[in-house]
Amino acid sequence: MIDVKSLKKEYGERTVLDIDTLEINDGEILAVAGANGSGKTTLLKILAGQIRPTGGELSLPGKKLYMPQQSYAFRGDLIKNVTLGNADREKAVKLLEKLGLSRLADKKAASLSGGELQRLSLCRILARTADLLLLDEPTSACDAKGAELVVEAIKEYRGETRCTVIMTTHSPALAMNAADRLIILNNGKIEADGPPAAVLNEPKTDWAKSFIAGWKI
Amino acid sequence: MDSFRQAFGLLFSLDKELMQIIGVTLRMSFFSTSISCLIGLPLGALIGTKSFKGKSFLKKLIHTLMGLPPVVAGLFVYVLFTHYGPFGSLNLLFTVKVMVIAQVLLITPIVIGLSSSFIESTSKPIIETARGIGLGNGRIVRLCLSEGRASLVSIVLNAFGRSIAEVGAVSIVGGNIQWKTRVMTTAIMLETNKGKFSFALALGIILLLIAFIVNAGASFIVREAKND
Ligand SMILES: Nc1ncnc2c1ncn2[C@@H]1O[C@H](COP(=O)(O)OP(=O)(O)OP(=O)(O)O)[C@@H](O)[C@H]1O
Ligand SMILES: [Mg+2]
Repeated sequence: MIDVKSLKKEYGERTVLDIDTLEINDGEILAVAGANGSGKTTLLKILAGQIRPTGGELSLPGKKLYMPQQSYAFRGDLIKNVTLGNADREKAVKLLEKLGLSRLADKKAASLSGGELQRLSLCRILARTADLLLLDEPTSACDAKGAELVVEAIKEYRGETRCTVIMTTHSPALAMNAADRLIILNNGKIEADGPPAAVLNEPKTDWAKSFIAGWKI
Repeated sequence: MDSFRQAFGLLFSLDKELMQIIGVTLRMSFFSTSISCLIGLPLGALIGTKSFKGKSFLKKLIHTLMGLPPVVAGLFVYVLFTHYGPFGSLNLLFTVKVMVIAQVLLITPIVIGLSSSFIESTSKPIIETARGIGLGNGRIVRLCLSEGRASLVSIVLNAFGRSIAEVGAVSIVGGNIQWKTRVMTTAIMLETNKGKFSFALALGIILLLIAFIVNAGASFIVREAKND
């Protein structure tokens, strides 16, 4: 289980993340939503160990994988990008196929479109094993079909490895289709928490009501 | 036109003094560039990747030093190495060694400045992505180097260009001594002062030629690197 207690991140005077408690069950897919600047990336980076929190307690599984919000194309073709640091080649081929990239497998990663590159970046993650996946807006650059492939791949990976998945998103559809649970951040604080359908259809606070009203359009 | 003919005439006649001047120039630039990069690249990488107290002050200082006028660097080193200076006993003044020292002082901040901003902008996403899939530090450093080959080569070229074209510092600490510390730039100065413009121009053309060959070689390396 992942356990977060009084987690804080401050930049100077400004508190960008302030979470009292957050417990995430093993094998859960958690979606994190919230406006730009609400602290989603900050939360993920702290869990990934990329930045240090100002304070708080974390209990996390040992092996985690983190996919940044900005996808990066390394030198070389798609296969090389996925197997980077010696991941399994056969697995890479299968994943590229699963994410609709196999016809591009021997092309340079730098030549990919935004949505293609994002799916490549997910392949690089899914070619490895971990107890926790941290995905920062994994479908933000994808079209509907691409997003569907991403959701399927994530669910299948979770099914096989029983890992926990935390992903941020601006897409209600992704939260509904992929997540077991949805939290919404407002200025670094958790304002809503529950099964995606419940959070979206029966918002509990006025703030959540107006956020979701704006979100669904 | 006359200068062009003279330049190639000089080059192909393998004029002894000219060859010696080119030799000193290349030797000086090679050592200035290598030492500046050996010091500057790791420091630049450190500053670019770590966050620490006083970092923004340090960056301002480096940016100021990047614009250090060569004559000031020359003067500073001259004072250090003059007979009565703290390093006077080393007897290095008016040697190629002290010219290299002055140039290292001049060029290292440039290498640090360029490489730290390169690391900050270009390497950040690489580090983030590579660390995200659990790669180790050594592996990440190698990735940054290979991904940033083109920028690295251009930093080294920048350092080399600065060194080979520099005249203020080397003339002060080197003294432009014939057969000893005379380099292309100080020779050009001298010939210009003597009024031998076409000869000076010929030397200038040769200097450009050397710079061009070095740059062409480097861009060849970069192109090779891009192909894999
Ligand atoms: N290094 C930093 N220094 C100062 N402020 C920062 C820094 N990094 C992030 N912030 C601030 O923290 C806040 C939260 O940023 P974060 O990236 O977590 O937002 P986000 O929810 O991921 O937004 P988006 O939807 O745009 O991706 C932002 O207002 C941002 O300006
Ligand atoms: Mg973000």
